[in-house]
Amino acid sequence: MSLLEVSGLGVAFGGLAALKNVSFSLEDHEIVGLIGPNGAGKTTLFNCLSGFQAPDQGTMRFRGEPMERRAPYEIAARGLARTFQTSRVFKRMTVLEHVLVGLHRHQRAGFWAAVARPRWVADEERTARARGIALLGLFEDRLLPRLDDFADSLSYANRRRLEIARALATEPTLLLLDEPTAGMNPHESAGIVRLIQAIRDRGITVFLIEHDMKVIMNASDRIVVLDHGEKIAEGRPEEIRRNPDVVSAYMGHRGARA
Amino acid sequence: MALHAFVPRRENRLLWGGALGVALLLPLALRSEYLLSIAVQAGIYVILASSLNVTNGYTGLFSFGHAAFYGIGAYTAAILATRLGWSFTLTLPAAGLVAGLIGAALALITLRLSGIFLALVTIGFQEITFLVTLNWIGLTRGPMGIPGVPPPALGGFELRGNIGFYYLILALDVLTLFVLARVVTSRVGRAFVAIREDELAAQASGLPTFKLKVLAFVIATFFAGLAGAFFAHHARFVSADSFRLDETFVILTMLIVGGLGSFLGPIIGAVALVVLPEISRFLAEYRGVVYGLVLIAVILFRPEGVAGVPGIIQPRGLLARPAPPAEDLAP
Repeated sequence: MSLLEVSGLGVAFGGLAALKNVSFSLEDHEIVGLIGPNGAGKTTLFNCLSGFQAPDQGTMRFRGEPMERRAPYEIAARGLARTFQTSRVFKRMTVLEHVLVGLHRHQRAGFWAAVARPRWVADEERTARARGIALLGLFEDRLLPRLDDFADSLSYANRRRLEIARALATEPTLLLLDEPTAGMNPHESAGIVRLIQAIRDRGITVFLIEHDMKVIMNASDRIVVLDHGEKIAEGRPEEIRRNPDVVSAYMGHRGARA
Repeated sequence: MALHAFVPRRENRLLWGGALGVALLLPLALRSEYLLSIAVQAGIYVILASSLNVTNGYTGLFSFGHAAFYGIGAYTAAILATRLGWSFTLTLPAAGLVAGLIGAALALITLRLSGIFLALVTIGFQEITFLVTLNWIGLTRGPMGIPGVPPPALGGFELRGNIGFYYLILALDVLTLFVLARVVTSRVGRAFVAIREDELAAQASGLPTFKLKVLAFVIATFFAGLAGAFFAHHARFVSADSFRLDETFVILTMLIVGGLGSFLGPIIGAVALVVLPEISRFLAEYRGVVYGLVLIAVILFRPEGVAGVPGIIQPRGLLARPAPPAEDLAP
C-alpha cells in the first residue's frame, strides 16, 4: 500500500478545469517534486490533499483511508501536514508558541484540565516544550535563539522556516511544502534542500512544489509534472529534464511564439 | 512572554497579590454607599469586559451580543428567584449555564461566519433578545420588568449594604479572572490566539477550529451570565432597557480602551471607564466631552489600547503608521 494514492482527481472552478484526472502515488520516505508552469494546478492539488478544496471527482487515500470529504484539521491529525505558498505565520505569537500549536494534537488538556491543572497537564506542557525545542534544532541556529520572539519580528526566510517547523510539529508522515524557497537567496535555498533531506531522513515523505529547478533537481527522488491541470509526466529528475512534453510545456512548442 | 504578559501566574504574583490586597482594603477608603456602589459597578464590568475579551480579543471573533447574554443571565436569575424562590447560590450558576447554553446555540449556528458578517449577526441577536424580552410578557413581564429580586442571602444573613456586595463581586471577579487566566495560558488559549492570527493556518496545524470557537463563545457568554445574575440580585430589579446594544458598546469600549487580547486590558478599561465619568462629575455637561476626548486620545496614540497587544488593531488611512522593522532583512 502506498502512503498516498490519488486516482482520477478532478476539480473545476466554474468552467475552468483546474485539475483533470490526476493520478499518482507517493511512497514512504521519498522526496517528490511537483512542478509545472504557472496555473498548472499545483496549489489546487495541495489544497485538495490537505482538505481545503473538495475534489469534484476522484479519490485520495492516505494510508489506505479515504480523505476526499475530510476537514483540514482531520487530515492534519492523520499525519498529512502542509505549508502555504504565501507566509501564514501567527504574527503575534512567539516562535515556541508556533511549534506548540503544531503539537496541539499530541496534547490532551481541554478546558477543565486547563482550569483544574492536575499534575499531568504541567507534565504534558513541559514535554511539549522539550519536543518543540528539539524540533527547532533542525533549523541550524536560525530559530532556536529566537524562541520568545514574535513571528512578525522575524526575517522573511525565518518566517518560512517557522512555518515548516509548525507543520513538522504535528508529526506528519507526509509533508506538503508549497514553494519553500520562494524569495530566498541561493545560500538560503541550499539550506532548505539540506533541511528537506533531513526531514526525509526522519522517515517523513516530502511532496514539494518548487519553481527553483536547482532545488527540485537536487532534492527530489521523483518528479510529477502538471500542465493545465493534467499530469503530463512523472519520473526521475534526469528523465524529466529530457522529457519533450515537459520541455514544451515550459518553453512553448517549437515554432510557436512564446 | 506575549500570551502570558501580566497574567496572574507565579512570575506576576507581586502585581496580582498587590492588586488583590488593595481591592480587599479599598472599602476602608470608600466610606460611603455611593463610592462603594461605583466600585461594585466596576467589579461587574471587569467580568463583562474580561469575558468578552475571550471571543473578541483572544480568539478574534467579533461579537456584539455581549449585553444580550448579560441580560439573559440577569433575567434567568430574576425569574428563578422571584417565581421559584431560588437563592443566589443557585441562580448564579443557573444564569451562567443558561447564558452559556444559548451562547453555544448561537455559536453553532453563526460561527461559520467571521469578521463583519459575524458582527452583524450578533447585533441581530442582540436586538432580537431585546424584542423577545420586551414582548414575552408571560415570562419576562415585558416593559414592566421584574421587581423584587431578593438580595443574596448566605445562611440566613441577607446582603443589604454595598460593602457586602463589594466583597461578593470581588470574589466573583477573582473566580472569573482565575478561570480565564488558566484558560488563556493553556493549550486551549494558545489555540484561540492561533485562530485569531490565521484560521486557515490553524486548521492546517490540526486545530479543530470550529469546536474551539464554540468553546470560546461558551466561556465568554457563561461569565456574562454570571455577571447578569449578580446584577439582578444587586439592583433587585431587571428590565430589558439595561441590556441593549448601547450596553454592548459600553463593554466593548472598555475592552478596546483597555486593550484587546491582553489580560490586564479589560480590567483597566472597566475600572477606568466606570471611574472616569464619576470623577469628572464636577464638569457637569462637559463630562461627555471629556469621556469622548479620552477615547479619541487612546485610539490616536495607543490604538491597541492601554495594555493591548501591539499590532492587534492596525489603523488605516490617516492613522496608519509604518510597520516596525523586521529582525534582519539581509541574509
